[in-house]
Amino acid sequence: MKRPRGKFTLGPCEFQAASMADLGFLLLVFFIVTTAFAIEQGIPLVLPGRGRVIAKLKPSDVLEIRAHADGSVDAAGVRVPPNAVRRLVESRLARDPDVVVVLATDSDASYGDMIHILDQLKLAHCRRISLRSSE
Amino acid sequence: MGDIAFLLLIFFMATTILKTEEGIDVRLPQAETAEKQKKENVLEVWIDRTGRVWIDERFVAGEQLRAVLAGESARKPGLVVAFNADERAPYRAVSTVLDELKAANAVHVSFTSETRRRGGGAGPNR
Repeated sequence: MKRPRGKFTLGPCEFQAASMADLGFLLLVFFIVTTAFAIEQGIPLVLPGRGRVIAKLKPSDVLEIRAHADGSVDAAGVRVPPNAVRRLVESRLARDPDVVVVLATDSDASYGDMIHILDQLKLAHCRRISLRSSE
Repeated sequence: MGDIAFLLLIFFMATTILKTEEGIDVRLPQAETAEKQKKENVLEVWIDRTGRVWIDERFVAGEQLRAVLAGESARKPGLVVAFNADERAPYRAVSTVLDELKAANAVHVSFTSETRRRGGGAGPNR
């Protein structure tokens, strides 16, 4: 039988929502697996600001650590393995808690080398650090 | 259960950040002493391996650095500058930005790094 044009009849209609929970769980698993919370971490440092008084220090109160462009490290003029900086600074701090560590990084040295040494200074609980760039 | 699933789904959808590979190519250094950074009042400074500088995703040439940093520091007192520098970047580039920050009196910096487990790794990746 031909249905007259423009006339629609709807029978009993039922929305099947049973699979919605499955779909929800599927998407939930996807987002749990792929989620990466953006937590940024870093080494905090407070720089000397404009107008800060320049402190004069005795050479005996300063430990200079030089990071060279080839990755080598000198501490108080002596070549040391980069990973030995922490122990060296710890022993110096035990003798002289007010020592100022000057980290002089060669301009051509990599930033990663400087961070590696700075990290060791922080691990040694060194609070008085001076960053310097050297040619 | 379905309601809880949808609730969690909405939470994850709202908090998910899909990682995109485009942008500034930076390999962060690793550090054991890295601490969680604040998110408020942060100025992001990016330095790639060649030493080029971006501030808040805007490329900044060397001669503009002072004006941009001074402007940001004046606009946001107590600013924290997050250094997202490539571990292979020359220290010269980092040092230049640090000098300009001191001049602009923006003294709080944070060297963004990835967390290295205690005792893991002998130094920076090369």
